[in-house]
Amino acid sequence: MRKFATYALLGVALILGAWVSFELLGPKTPIPRYANASIGGDFTLNSVEGERQLSDFKGEVVMIYFGFMSCPDVCPTSMAVMRQAINELSEEQRMKVRGVFISVDPERDTVDELNAYTQYFSDRIIGVTGTKQQIDAVVKQYGAYYKFVQLDDSALGYTVDHSARIYLIDPDGQLADILAHDINPAELHTKIAAYL
Amino acid sequence: MKYLPIALLLSASIVNAADISISDARARAVPPGADISAAFMNVKNNAATDLAILGADSSVAESVELHSNSMADGKMKMRRIDQIELAANSEVALQPGGLHIMLIGLRRPLVEGETIELTLNLSNNTSELLQIPVVHIEPGMKKMHH
Repeated sequence: MRKFATYALLGVALILGAWVSFELLGPKTPIPRYANASIGGDFTLNSVEGERQLSDFKGEVVMIYFGFMSCPDVCPTSMAVMRQAINELSEEQRMKVRGVFISVDPERDTVDELNAYTQYFSDRIIGVTGTKQQIDAVVKQYGAYYKFVQLDDSALGYTVDHSARIYLIDPDGQLADILAHDINPAELHTKIAAYL
Repeated sequence: MKYLPIALLLSASIVNAADISISDARARAVPPGADISAAFMNVKNNAATDLAILGADSSVAESVELHSNSMADGKMKMRRIDQIELAANSEVALQPGGLHIMLIGLRRPLVEGETIELTLNLSNNTSELLQIPVVHIEPGMKKMHH
């Protein structure tokens, strides 16, 4: 009986081993995350004009960005990329493009401040935020990331580690692409224009 | 004796020889209400010895700090750093997405076209007073080649 158990165990180990090595070494086609239909989707957050839903912008190409206003470098860079890509469009095309800056720092960023911040970059970019629960839900929906980090040695007090990506939403409201925060504005322009 | 003035001149020039040279210094113009900004530049250490930027000051901000940005696993992290090392005879770029001088608690908005003062404090006990322009930091609309 003991002998049988040993063989059974050995068999299981062999199968497991084969499976593990297939998983690790077997050929794999990398699947872009956005090909996963579970990423993206509608959400509701607050803007200076009240609640806004992603579905309000059906028919428009939307660029979603998760950031915060006291982000000194990466967020303004992404906003400047969006501005340039938008400004390269014709007036008619411009009206079919929308940037959505989602602040993950509602304690510091009010909807009024967010409005002034985004308008500074483009009148086609809006700023939205919500309660922590609302924000966490959208962050999860889009596979984004943020984390508050205490900075005891800095006058900032705290900062936010964050994923810095531009989510491109097609006119049907579906996630079309996930782009780097410092994508070349000409490349972003080309990607937007493809839907217009 | 007639070489004394030249010798003095030479020694003076050695003492005053800029150990570092700065190029492409600029500060980011900020949206209304924003109380932080960042300054960027290229810093070249012309000396044969290692130097470091230990800190900076500016009248436009309550605090001026040295910060680094790093991207790991798609996550952007910014942290304060104690110094920016300047290896002998080499150049360090302070640029968007990387090392920068952070201006925290702006006393007024930084508007494109103006000039601000920024002092760099160096490890050789000298400081460098800079006048730097405030500009829109644009990533640049490079045309794609196909």
